[in-house]
Order: sequence, then structure tokens, then C-alpha cells
Amino acid sequence: MRYFLQRLFQFVIVFFLVTFGVLVFMRIGLNKPGDPARTMLGGTATDEQIKAVTDRFHLNSNYLTQYWYWLRGMFTLDFGYSQTNNLDVTTYLKPRVLPTLFLGIYATVGALVIAVPVAVYQAYRRDSAFDKIGSFFSFALVSIPALVLAPLLSYLFIIRLQWFPRLASKIYPWESLSGHFKNFLLPSIVLMLPLAAVYVRLLRADMVQTLQADFVTLASAKGVSPRRVLWSHALRNSLFTLLTNVGVQLGGLVGGALVVEQYFNIKGMGSLLVVGILSSDLFTVQSVSAILVATVVTVNLLVDLSYAVIDPRIRHARALS
Amino acid sequence: MTLTIESPPVADPASAPDTPARTQRRRPRIGMWFGITWLGGLVFCIVFASVLPFIRLYDTKIRVGGKAGRYNLGPGWTAWLGTDSSSHDVFARCIYGARVTLTVGVLSTVIGLVVGGLLGIASGYFQGWTDRVGSIITDSLLALPPLLLALLLVYRMDDLKDVYSWLGWLDRQWEITLTLGILAIAPFARIARAQTIALRDREFVLAARSLGAKSGRVIAREILPNLIPAMLTVAVTGLGILVAAEGALAFLGLGVERPLTWGKMISDGQRDLARAWWATIFPCLFLFLTVISFNLIGDQLARRFDIREAAI
Repeated sequence: MRYFLQRLFQFVIVFFLVTFGVLVFMRIGLNKPGDPARTMLGGTATDEQIKAVTDRFHLNSNYLTQYWYWLRGMFTLDFGYSQTNNLDVTTYLKPRVLPTLFLGIYATVGALVIAVPVAVYQAYRRDSAFDKIGSFFSFALVSIPALVLAPLLSYLFIIRLQWFPRLASKIYPWESLSGHFKNFLLPSIVLMLPLAAVYVRLLRADMVQTLQADFVTLASAKGVSPRRVLWSHALRNSLFTLLTNVGVQLGGLVGGALVVEQYFNIKGMGSLLVVGILSSDLFTVQSVSAILVATVVTVNLLVDLSYAVIDPRIRHARALS
Repeated sequence: MTLTIESPPVADPASAPDTPARTQRRRPRIGMWFGITWLGGLVFCIVFASVLPFIRLYDTKIRVGGKAGRYNLGPGWTAWLGTDSSSHDVFARCIYGARVTLTVGVLSTVIGLVVGGLLGIASGYFQGWTDRVGSIITDSLLALPPLLLALLLVYRMDDLKDVYSWLGWLDRQWEITLTLGILAIAPFARIARAQTIALRDREFVLAARSLGAKSGRVIAREILPNLIPAMLTVAVTGLGILVAAEGALAFLGLGVERPLTWGKMISDGQRDLARAWWATIFPCLFLFLTVISFNLIGDQLARRFDIREAAI
């Protein structure tokens, strides 16, 4: 419990530190009064507009005061104002959340669905042809950046075979289920394949070790069926590294989503951020990155917690230290 | 690979003996030699690009029948990998693109290695408050998705150098190098910390300390040499990740503009993918082969030094 509280405390500090850092970094160098508002509104803004925005967001006070007002807004879901769209960030962030969420969920779930059986079977039949082929492909796939996989797959499946439409149109499953999958299948695969390869490698390595453990031999000797030994005895004890990594990969997944959304023209949070950064959209960048930081931090905390649930040994080992 | 964060080496109760050495030795080293050959060939071409007769200058236009047209040549004898939208030789551009990409990758790895390594050693060796501050720094660096942090840093550095004159020396290439260097700090720090913790209670370190050696000497003479294998392995694997990240940044519009990089070529070519696949697919292949080469060499090093993948 003490360990958990310590982690929680640290994660809270990290959250405030990073969000404050983003705020300062977005505004540093905008020294003259009215500068931040002018950056937000663009060159054509009148003095009144600049004054109005400066007053509304306290842009001429010090960074801490600005941070305080922005943070207070965040907790009431008021994410600030974006000049590029002339809208409150909250209003136009809403439709952007789901597409990114779809991508992330499809990629992670798909990767696990592929990776777990493949890795378990590879470990079970170690050094077989299947194992060697699997290792080869997972190694190759780990090394493919999203930036490479996206053009390759889209050339093959969109341009040559024409299985998928060129531009994303129907985004939500309730609009058109087949249209939804046509739009999301390829981008999800681009994110999914390297992820699946990472999982296969991690799980296989752990699984190979577990299968050599005494309790596995004992279970087989007692006549437990191989399937049961593999799936319930060995797998549970091998999930450790995989689990750590599902959390760790989240950051990479968001990075991949930035590229993939841009490439396949999906209007999600990633493309929102890219545009936001490139047009100095202070509040969009601050708020969206705060959401991402909160997500990453929370997932890591949950992963930390789940160790103890999965593996009682950790509970005790950490209680002692 | 997408830009991934290395997982922290967990305090791990399942540290059962590794797979038997027998199966490790039997694996052939074709992969590593492939990696070395590819990277060696690439570096050779980069260094002697202006001398070698078969590499054109990156902005030489190839004229067909006296005219330079968009994508006027497919892959063939005149231009090995075809020509791009302004009828430049794709092969030559791939080579010149590698020059920027590899320089950026190597320099940023060095930055990450030095800063992250020192941070990690200090955290692991002194523990207590140093460790706490160190881990808050690394956690903060890892809390933002790496590519997002990179975009933010590069874009703002662009602005800042106009405001503060002492930043005038920053050009795009330096901005990207610094940014990727900052991204590389956290993983290096974590590895160095974990390794230092494992080393600091070993007998030879205790012996040095009880003989009265000061902390600085113990770190420099006892700990540092033992960190080299792990750090080297991580550095090689990390190079692949940084090269990919540089490509992604360029694709998102924050790359080195002149002369060019692979990411820029991919983003330029992909709009005309249907018309001229070679202008996009070949830079993709160069990027892929380079990343996989670094991974293959890193893999071999990890095997050689017996470093578990989970720790990388």
C-alpha cells in the first residue's frame, strides 16, 4: 500500500510538472504584452480582439496564474479556445476523440489476439519450423516504422487491389458498419502489426522460461493435459513482461497514431495535435497533451497495480523493500 | 517500429536461468553480417557520394529527350530507382538523405547516452533523493508520447531562435538532433540506473569502497566499464528507433529541408503513389533496411553480452 501511494504521488507530480512544462514551453519567448494572444489569433487580429482574449485567459499574468486558470478550466471540461477553428476547444475536440480511440483499441486488441496464441505455440514447439518462421517475421515487423508500413500497405491494398477507399469518409460504426471497417482496417493494421510483433517476442521469451520451470514439469507429470498446462499454468506466469509493455507501448501507439492519422487522413486527436502545434494553437496543444499525459500516467499506474494482482510474489517482495 | 519506450527492467522474481547457451550459439549470424554490410555500404556511399561515378548529385535533373518532366523515368538503367516529381534521381536522393538521417541519429544517440547515462548512474549509485529526482525527470520525459514531445520541441525551437539571438546557431538539423537526444535520455537513464543498482553491491565495488576510494573514482573505475556492454547494445537498437523517429518528424513537416531526408521523400512522394510508386517505396525500403540493420546488430550484441530483451 505504501508503495502504491508513493507511485501515485510521483505520478501526480509528473502530471503537473509535464502539463506546466508544456504551458511554459508553448509561451516562452512571447515576451511582449499581447504576444500570446497575437500568436493565437494570427496577424490579422485587431487590438480589441487581442485585449479580449488576453483578458479572458489572463494571458498577461505570470505562468503560474495562467496555469491555475487553465487547470481549473480543465476540471470543468472547458479546454480553452482555439483561433484556427474559432471555437472552444471542447466543442471541436469531441468528434476527434472517438476515431483515435477506435484506432488504439483495434490495434491493441488485434495485436494481443494475434500475439498470444502465436507466442504460446512458438514457445511450446520451440525450434520448430513454425517457431523459426514466427521469430523471423516478428523480428522483421518490429523493425518496420509506421512511416514505412503505411505507404507499402496502401500501395498494395488501396491502389493496386483497390480493396479499400482512398479517403476516410464514414467514420462511425453506427453510420455504416462496413464503411467503418473499410476505413479503419488498414490504419489499424499499420499500428497493429509492429505491436503484435513486440508482444510475440516478449511473451515467447518469458513463456520459454516458464515452460522449463519445475511446476510445469510437475503438472505434466501429474497428468494435466498439455493444453491446460500451457494455457492456464504457464501462460499466467508468463504474462508479466507483456503486461508491463502494454502500458509502455501506449506512448508509442500515440506516436504511431500521429503518423497514421496524417497518412490516411483520419480526423482524430493525432492530426488535431499536429495541426495545433504547427499553428501555435496554445490551448489545443495544452489541453490535448494534458489528456494524453493523464492517460499514459493512469495506464502506467494501473499496470503497476495489476502486477500485485497477477503475482502475489510481487506484493510481498515490495512490501519488504 | 513505432517509436517505443524501452520497458523498465522490473524487479523480477521470475529471473529463472536463461535459455541454455547451446541454443543461443547455434543461431547463425547471417543477420548481423547483413546489417553490417548494409550499413557499411550505405556509409561508404555517403562518404564518397561526390566521387563515385554512379551517384548523381541530389539536385541534378535527368532530362529525357531534352525535357525534365514529373516522374519521367521509372526504375531502370538510366536512373536505377527512377526519378521523382522534379525528375531528380531517386537513388542519389536516397543516398544524400541517408547522410542527414545517420548524422542526426548518431549525434542524438551520443547526447542521450551521455546525459541519460550520467543521470542513471547518479540515480542508481547515490539512491535516496537523487534517485527520486532522477526518476521524476525520466518519468516526465516518458509521460508525453515521444513523437508529440519531439514535434513540440522542434517547432518551438524554430520560434525561439528568432526571439533569442544566442540561439541563432540552431538550424533544423541541430534542432532535430537536440530533440531526439532529449528523447533518448530517459531510456538510457533507466538502463544505466538498473545496471548500476545491480553493480553497486557487488564485491569488487565494495572492495574499492572499503579501500577508501571516493564515489567519483568508484563510478569511473568500477561501475562505468561494466556498463559499457548494456549501454552499447541499447545505443545500437536505439539508433534504429531514432532514425525512424526522424523520418516520422520529417513526414509530419518538421524535417531537415535541405538537402533532404527519407521522411521528406516519403511525404513528398505519397501523394502520387498511384502514378509513381518508386518515389515513395524506395525511400521506405532504405529506411526499413537501415532500421532492421541496427536491430539485427543490436540483437547480436544483446546475445553476445547476454542481456535479456526485457531489460532493453
